[in-house]
Amino acid sequence: MKTKLLMVIGFLVATFVNGQDYKIAKSAGRLEVYIGNVEIEGYAGNEILFATKDHDRDEDDRARGLRSINSSGLEDNTGLGINVTTKGDVIEVRQLKKMNSPEIRIKVPKGVTVYYEHQSQYGGEVKFRNVEGEIEVSTHYNNLEFENITGPVTAKAIYGSIDATFTDNVKGPVSLISVYGHVDVTIPVSTKANLKLNTSYGEIFVAPDFKIEMEKQGELVSYGDKISGKINGGGMTIDLGANYSKIYLRKK
Amino acid sequence: MLSAGGGQEVRCMEKEKLESLLIDYLDNILSKEAKEKVDGMLAENEEARKLLQELNVIIGALDNSQPLQPSASMQRRFEESLANEVVLERKSKQIFRIPSMYRVAATVGLILVSVGIAYWINKHRQQADELSQMKTEMEATKKMLMAMLDNMQSASQRVQGATIAYTIGKADDEIVNALAKALNEDKNTNVRLAALEALAKFYQEENVRQLLIKSLSIQNDEVVQIALIQVLVQMKEKGIVKELEKITRDTEVLKAVKDEAFTGILKLS
Repeated sequence: MKTKLLMVIGFLVATFVNGQDYKIAKSAGRLEVYIGNVEIEGYAGNEILFATKDHDRDEDDRARGLRSINSSGLEDNTGLGINVTTKGDVIEVRQLKKMNSPEIRIKVPKGVTVYYEHQSQYGGEVKFRNVEGEIEVSTHYNNLEFENITGPVTAKAIYGSIDATFTDNVKGPVSLISVYGHVDVTIPVSTKANLKLNTSYGEIFVAPDFKIEMEKQGELVSYGDKISGKINGGGMTIDLGANYSKIYLRKK
Repeated sequence: MLSAGGGQEVRCMEKEKLESLLIDYLDNILSKEAKEKVDGMLAENEEARKLLQELNVIIGALDNSQPLQPSASMQRRFEESLANEVVLERKSKQIFRIPSMYRVAATVGLILVSVGIAYWINKHRQQADELSQMKTEMEATKKMLMAMLDNMQSASQRVQGATIAYTIGKADDEIVNALAKALNEDKNTNVRLAALEALAKFYQEENVRQLLIKSLSIQNDEVVQIALIQVLVQMKEKGIVKELEKITRDTEVLKAVKDEAFTGILKLS
């Protein structure tokens, strides 16, 4: 009786997981993500795993029995409300609905480069956690959160903010720019870097533990606040920019 | 008359020359050819033969003569005058010392100068070596940064390439064009910004200035537009005001870009 019950539970779990997961065997290459709401996590594995966080959050009774199509002709080939297409070394991930993006969680192996782009204002926070490969991000409205990443990373946001904490071993270059949002970065105090902190109308805050050797500015007179200098003798490039907001540089 | 005199003089000169030639001949210090020539001359020239005989007699007499002994009175006079000279010299010692000091100084100076020249030559050679080494290093750096700027797989590599271009002292046309291409065409904003930063460093070069002005009218990345307006305003580039006014009238443009354009117009006029 007990074993039967366990088997039933196991079967249920299996179907549940199967319905929610989608995976591609890939341990290198480039993952391009065009979804409004996503959490991308690095892990030691050989597959890219896709899962949804909220399976029935936007369950639509009216849509029952219909399938979602869009003008790009993409089909939901994952059962997660997203389309995943492999083009050579590149894997493209797109959402099908224009407005409500499903909340997707993606796990990527360490050697995979992650590219994220989203221009629509219908999106939420985008999280990158423990990613050890290169990250490239271009968004308009999303808030970006990088947690425990190594770099290299280049990110641009127009209205969104950028928060980033790095591992003990930072790999440059790091370039994080937002027009209207804040840029809040935490790096190890021993990081050797050439720093550029740039704001036109905002402010810059730096942990006192960072001894910045200011670089002599060129002949150009800067109207905004622009700091360039070396920490720990210089090294990798760290560019942080927030035109209308604040820059925070913290020690880990 | 004049020509005759001149002829005599010539003959006189010739005689002198001949005499010295013959003396050398007798002393046996002439080269083989010269000796043969003199032999030939002696065979056909009567005068030369006579002169040779005379010279032979004189030289023989000179060789045979006893060394002249100075007379006792002459020796005494010489010694007296020598003693006088010694006294005189002793008196004028200080006068003589200065030139000797000058000589020492001159020697030291000469040594210093020659050491200096040697050092300079050495240093010059070293500099040339360093220069050629730097040149090869520059070439290698350039190759590397061009390859990085061209790496379409990795935005961070392209950022790095542009950052290296920022650190080099002088950019040639190839680098400037690669940076301009990155500024206007790269699909990554951060790469474009890094390229702009590198180009802005060479803003005093006319071609770079023109590239930056041109980029303002074709730039389609909002974040880069803002940074570009800031750079051009810092350069006091009044020629862009018209373009800035166009931006302020453009309904498609991001508000932050318009604000920057307005700020630019204010600062430039």
